[in-house]
Amino acid sequence: MKIPEISSSVRNSLLLLLVPAVVAVMTIAWVLHGMSLDRMARDYMEDRLQEEVAFLEHQIHEVGADLSILDTGEYFEDVFHHAFAIRAEAGTVVSPPQWESALRSVLDMDAEGLLELDGTGDQAPEGVLAFRRVITHAGKPVEIVVAEDLGILHSRHVQLHRWTGIVAVLMIAAMAVAIWVGITVAMRPVRQLGAALRELQAGRNTRIDVRTPAEFRPLVDQLNRLLDTLDQRLERSRQALANLSHSVKTPIAAVRTVLEDETRPLDGKLRRQLASRLSDIDQQLEAEMRRSQFAGPQAGKSGQPVRQARDLLWMFGRLYPDKRFELETEIPGEHRWPVERHDLDELMGNLLDNAGKWASKAVELRLTESDTGYHLCVRDDGPGVEEEVRESLSIRRLRLDEQKPGHGLGLAIVAEIVDRYGGQMSLHNASNGGFCVEIALPCPA
Amino acid sequence: MRLLLVEDDALLAESLAKELEQAGYRVDLAATARDARAIGEQEPCQVAVLDLGLPDGSGFDVLAHWRDRRKQFPVMILTARGNWRDKVTGLKMGADDYLTKPFRTEELVARLQAILRRSEGRVESVLRAGRHALDEDRQSLRGPDGEEHLLTGTEFRLLRCLMSRPGQLFSKEQLVEQLYSLDDSPNWNTIEAYIRRLRKIVGSEAIVTRRGQGYYFNEDTGNQ
Repeated sequence: MKIPEISSSVRNSLLLLLVPAVVAVMTIAWVLHGMSLDRMARDYMEDRLQEEVAFLEHQIHEVGADLSILDTGEYFEDVFHHAFAIRAEAGTVVSPPQWESALRSVLDMDAEGLLELDGTGDQAPEGVLAFRRVITHAGKPVEIVVAEDLGILHSRHVQLHRWTGIVAVLMIAAMAVAIWVGITVAMRPVRQLGAALRELQAGRNTRIDVRTPAEFRPLVDQLNRLLDTLDQRLERSRQALANLSHSVKTPIAAVRTVLEDETRPLDGKLRRQLASRLSDIDQQLEAEMRRSQFAGPQAGKSGQPVRQARDLLWMFGRLYPDKRFELETEIPGEHRWPVERHDLDELMGNLLDNAGKWASKAVELRLTESDTGYHLCVRDDGPGVEEEVRESLSIRRLRLDEQKPGHGLGLAIVAEIVDRYGGQMSLHNASNGGFCVEIALPCPA
Repeated sequence: MRLLLVEDDALLAESLAKELEQAGYRVDLAATARDARAIGEQEPCQVAVLDLGLPDGSGFDVLAHWRDRRKQFPVMILTARGNWRDKVTGLKMGADDYLTKPFRTEELVARLQAILRRSEGRVESVLRAGRHALDEDRQSLRGPDGEEHLLTGTEFRLLRCLMSRPGQLFSKEQLVEQLYSLDDSPNWNTIEAYIRRLRKIVGSEAIVTRRGQGYYFNEDTGNQ
């Protein structure tokens, strides 16, 4: 049975799956019931027939070989419920007479035990279930057959079958109703969620706070988290632009005022001051630009570390042709990391740029994945860094706003990004000389 | 030394031109992409400084135009956008260096010297083996499908070694010499790992392993 695809409606899929399943199960149950009933009836019949044969045998031994007595005994007709046939040396007795041909056929069979005979002629019954046995009386064999009309059995069987069929149909109907009610009740949270989203859209609510069953909890949490992120971004970008505007307006005002003052000569000192104000403006812009470029962890955003790494390593190989830039990784090229593409470029680009400047001959970028997260390591064979300087290069100290841009801006950017992704950065001198920066980013929650 | 300066901001162009002339260059100016394409193609420029943000097109298109017409003079890109992706793209398209605005003129002059020096020793050299072409200058490989693969230092050196003599066996010891040595002793697995990586680039039939003996480059690979 082909499992139907998830159609556009959960309710329809459920109905489409469950109702036929219920029908199928009930049908199978009904059939099995019929079959076991059949089996039970047969076993019962067999026992009865066997008993009657035993009874007959007893009678024969009592009466002797005179079979005619058996034929006329009244009690036979009252007590005996089945048709029978007895064949001895003296002759054959069959009762009732209509069964003659049928029972003769059974007598002629060689086997003993429970036998079945179909379609035996117009006057005889349609089907016969018989028990045949050969006994010995006074040294002579006597064949006994006791039979029952299968037709009656069948019709009774059919009737019962029909009744159970009707019961099965009623049960199917009841279950279908139960399924429908169950689905409707289970889908209620979906409708509630829909209503909550409409409230959100209309601005009557800022978050989704409907109580949902466990299956929807992660979805609702994610939605709320997304809304939080959007809020933060809006706030951050507003702040950033406001700060920028503030910090830039003053130097602009200063430069403009000086230039507009036609009486003031533009000597070297003044030129330098003007230039330095413009430098300030540039630095502020630079810092805010960098800050706003960071994506941070976001659902649906990813980068391809190996592809991007190869591009960058190749580029640095061109820019520093006397140094070698190498890639160490087992990660396949198409693999994606949950780090936004631009952020990943900034991480690797800045580290490689620094390493390239300081290396004497070679720079190595190592990319690894583990179940705890994603690892990036950039190593160079340069002079390394002194202990005191290294102390000041911890993440906390490298926060962008504490750094004066232009001094180790690259490392500060890297630190900021690593922090945003909740990762760890470690800087140390490598065991055989040179400097090593290791970054570990956790798997997303 | 003739220098083509492509910059649309008149103020910047003028002062930059003046400073470059002081540094000894003969400066031609272009303020639009159209002019830049024409001048770069027709005049004997020896070096160019190219702004990416031009009014009638992108500096990238100008660069592509020059390179298509086999103009190989070194190009310094000027850009306001400092992100790494743009820098990589610029270099991939044939530029030699990039500088972000605003910059100090001294730095521009120094880096111009550097790219001129680099380009002097440069010979357009392509190593061919089978249907692969290794661009020694660009450190890239062009496969039979025309796609260009950029190579890291060791990948390039290994391929150059193997492709310089197709069919000749190179043992692991010989190949290890091509590896850089950031570690004191690179292990043999490194060679195997690199051969695996190279096979992903050139195809697994192009590099053949002879157990116990080494590897060689097979130039008779069929249609892939």
